[in-house]
Amino acid sequence: MAANIGILRRPVSTEGVWGWITTVDHKRIGILYGVSAFIFFLIGGIEALLMRVQLAQPDGTFVEAGTFNALFTMHGTTMVFMVVMPAGAAFFNFLVPLMIGARDVAFPRLNALSYWLFIFGAILMNFSFFKAAFPDVGWFGYAPLTTSEYTLSSSTDYWVLGLQIMGIGTTAAGFNFVITILNMRAPGMTLMRMPLFPWMTLIVSFLIIFAFPPLTIALTLLLFDRFFGTNFFDTAGAGADPLLWQHLFWIFGHPEVYILILPAMGIVSDILPTFSRKPLFGYTTVVFAGAVIAFLGFGVWAHHMFTTGLGAWATAAFAGATMAIGVPTGVKIFNWLATLWGGSIQFKTPLLFALGFISMFMLGGLSGVMHAAVPVDTQQQDTYFIVAHFHYVLFGGSIFGITAGIYYWFPKMTGRMLSERIGKVHFWVMFIGFNMTFMPMHILGVLGMPRRVYTYSVDQNWAGLNLFVSIGAFIIALSILLLIINIVRSARKGEAAGMNPWAASTLEWAIPSPPPHYNFAVIPTVRSQHPLWDEEANAVEPPPLPAHGEPHMPDPSYWPIVIALGITMVAGGLLIWQANTWLGLLVIAVFGFVGIRGIYGWVFEPVAEESAERVHAHH
Amino acid sequence: MQYVTGIDDHRTSTGLDNRKLLMWAFLGSDVMFFGTLIGTHLIYRNRNLSGPQEEILSIPITTISTFVLLMSSLAMVLALAAIQRGNMGSFRFWTAIVAIFGSIFIGFQMFEFTEFAHLGLTPRTNLFGSTFLVMTGFHGTHVAVGILWLWSILFASYKGKIHQGNSLQVEIAGLYWHFVDIVWIVIFGVVYLIGAYGAEGRALEDIPHAARAVGIG
Amino acid sequence: MTTEHAHVEEHAHPGARQYVIIGAILAIITLIEFGVFYLSIDPALMTWIILILSSSKFLLVVGYFMHLKFDDVRFSGLFFAPFIIMVSIGVVLMALFFNLTR
Repeated sequence: MAANIGILRRPVSTEGVWGWITTVDHKRIGILYGVSAFIFFLIGGIEALLMRVQLAQPDGTFVEAGTFNALFTMHGTTMVFMVVMPAGAAFFNFLVPLMIGARDVAFPRLNALSYWLFIFGAILMNFSFFKAAFPDVGWFGYAPLTTSEYTLSSSTDYWVLGLQIMGIGTTAAGFNFVITILNMRAPGMTLMRMPLFPWMTLIVSFLIIFAFPPLTIALTLLLFDRFFGTNFFDTAGAGADPLLWQHLFWIFGHPEVYILILPAMGIVSDILPTFSRKPLFGYTTVVFAGAVIAFLGFGVWAHHMFTTGLGAWATAAFAGATMAIGVPTGVKIFNWLATLWGGSIQFKTPLLFALGFISMFMLGGLSGVMHAAVPVDTQQQDTYFIVAHFHYVLFGGSIFGITAGIYYWFPKMTGRMLSERIGKVHFWVMFIGFNMTFMPMHILGVLGMPRRVYTYSVDQNWAGLNLFVSIGAFIIALSILLLIINIVRSARKGEAAGMNPWAASTLEWAIPSPPPHYNFAVIPTVRSQHPLWDEEANAVEPPPLPAHGEPHMPDPSYWPIVIALGITMVAGGLLIWQANTWLGLLVIAVFGFVGIRGIYGWVFEPVAEESAERVHAHH
Repeated sequence: MQYVTGIDDHRTSTGLDNRKLLMWAFLGSDVMFFGTLIGTHLIYRNRNLSGPQEEILSIPITTISTFVLLMSSLAMVLALAAIQRGNMGSFRFWTAIVAIFGSIFIGFQMFEFTEFAHLGLTPRTNLFGSTFLVMTGFHGTHVAVGILWLWSILFASYKGKIHQGNSLQVEIAGLYWHFVDIVWIVIFGVVYLIGAYGAEGRALEDIPHAARAVGIG
Repeated sequence: MTTEHAHVEEHAHPGARQYVIIGAILAIITLIEFGVFYLSIDPALMTWIILILSSSKFLLVVGYFMHLKFDDVRFSGLFFAPFIIMVSIGVVLMALFFNLTR
């Protein structure tokens, strides 16, 4: 059937490279996300190290000012959009269907499309390095700085288009997980029986689908300004408002902060009960605190703009909302502590990282509440205090949480345990390195050291602390090396994990490690929040495959990567168009056709290729 | 926890269809998309008074195009009601009407944009030109995608791929079409009627430049 | 409560006739809006009139043509939650940009 409609038959093989390129299996897509995020983590980390080398000494000459701008821009953009978000997506993909008792996500091909758009967008943005230079306008890309009047280099075009494409992919993934979690749960898995990780995934997905459109618009307006001469950000010529970009960006940007941290909160909320051997304290409160954070997250954006002169009423209102959003966050922290209280605590590596998350995130949260006080914020705006604050939230919070998740679920993903010994060393090296790097930044900020400066002089008295910070950064790098060693070593000769090595309570541990491609031979029926801790569960062995064989899963598909390629190359055509009009238009036309052709191929693709005999019989 | 065999794999937890839920989630997201565009237009009103402003909006012509789009929405529900009854002839007739009315609306918009260009308003002219034309342009793009979608459905119905049994496909396309319609209801009310109200008087008193444009128009 | 439920059940499937009536109402409201535009009244009053008329058109299309009035309440949630967020953000932005907060 597909052969009649499409040039490409629906692929059936899941082997080899083509198997990965055409995969629609949520576990494989999760692994693709995870590996990509880790590679970008190394790239973003190297960018950070280069900056720390430059700043280790006063009057450093390691890199030039322009290069330094590119380094902090790409470090920020990479870590936010190409590391923490896709790392979250890796866990969403691999775990959410397993944890809610589903065979796959609601829209498997859309899931593949999300990944390909993410990776192509990321590659396109980094490709600017070969064409012009790295983008150097900050991860927030403030217009009018980013308009062509002030940024001639086409590197900003790569930044805009790359971010736009990644954003489309992320939004598509957001839709997918909203529908998956609402609609694909196993029988008896009511919303209030779901583990916390799928809950936080649901909330993050809502944040994504409602917060990304303002970014999409902001990027589109900037794109139109840069490519077609519109006036949205033309302050000098057309009287545009220099604050428009800041508003649009932070209407997206503050929910984005919660998009980055809520997955880590979900991971930790599922790890703590396992290693305390008791249920999460105040489950309902933690769920609702997450929902309240998400809702309030749309009402605090202007606290990123206190120094722009919003007026007294607006400033007071946004300060109040910002303090209010600290309350549900505090509620969560107390719930986590109460979960540990009185538990039979097992100090395994995942728990260590989870505890690292709670303590470090709490410090970051507290310095965040400090910024809700407008006079304090005004003093600390654009200093290293802010850098310290958001690294305590995003590294101390998100990265510690994600690392806890890696140690916790690596056995499920690969069937092998990570080494506890290396893991514990990894934790302490990372914990010490992290605090050496970012704790002194608070002091540097209060001493007045501004963000984003490429150097400073001896008489400013910042040299000693900066050297200390740089040494800390290399200790973090050492800890990441330990993680790599642990993963490589364990993937080959780690101890076999078995189905449920941590004696955890949630559904993903009820199936073999690694899970078969259909996940559950028979879909379980759930009766409580802790299906594997139920008394009856201990007696129930997972049933064998039903007599009629493996559950039927959707075949792989070429169309997701074809559509993603079409969209990305239309953006590429726009970039070519600047240098060579006709060649650019040609590329846009050809790949626009490829994309539309891909959509039609996708729509009319059957769920599975007809078996060989039937095709034969037709001819 | 237990394992019960024989449970239907294709049921959903909420009982709602995945695709319909996806379309509503998409429309929710699109609310933010158009909300941001319309908001940008509104906060930039009267900020830069050089060049043509809202006085060049033609309310009579846009009322007609609004009427056409509203009637296309009516045709859309009639098409859906027809296919749900299994009346394919009526379904095809009304679907074609929707697509044609949508095309007429696009025609009005192209006429409007061309006319504005003659009056000296392009996206490069001033803030009004940028925000208005990009906002309505994105709406027009949504309409165009809807037209393409409806023609595809009509074509597929002749191939037997759209029938009473999968009228959900038509319902989902319909949801999209009606959404495009309500976005226009908002734009027509807020941007055209409220925006242009009294604009001629203001233009005559304050902006000789714009007054000339009205004179030409 | 029960009567209200029964009432909804009764009208669960509006027919072609009802759709045409709603289409006619939409056309009439549009005509009224067109007329209001040519009245010389206080711009603030005019703004409120148009906002009310446009909202009723909006609700008619969403409620009847998009079937939300008769459909699962979760669809309404998916649609109106972002709608409320967006309108609130829009109102705050306008207040900020028109210096109403100083």
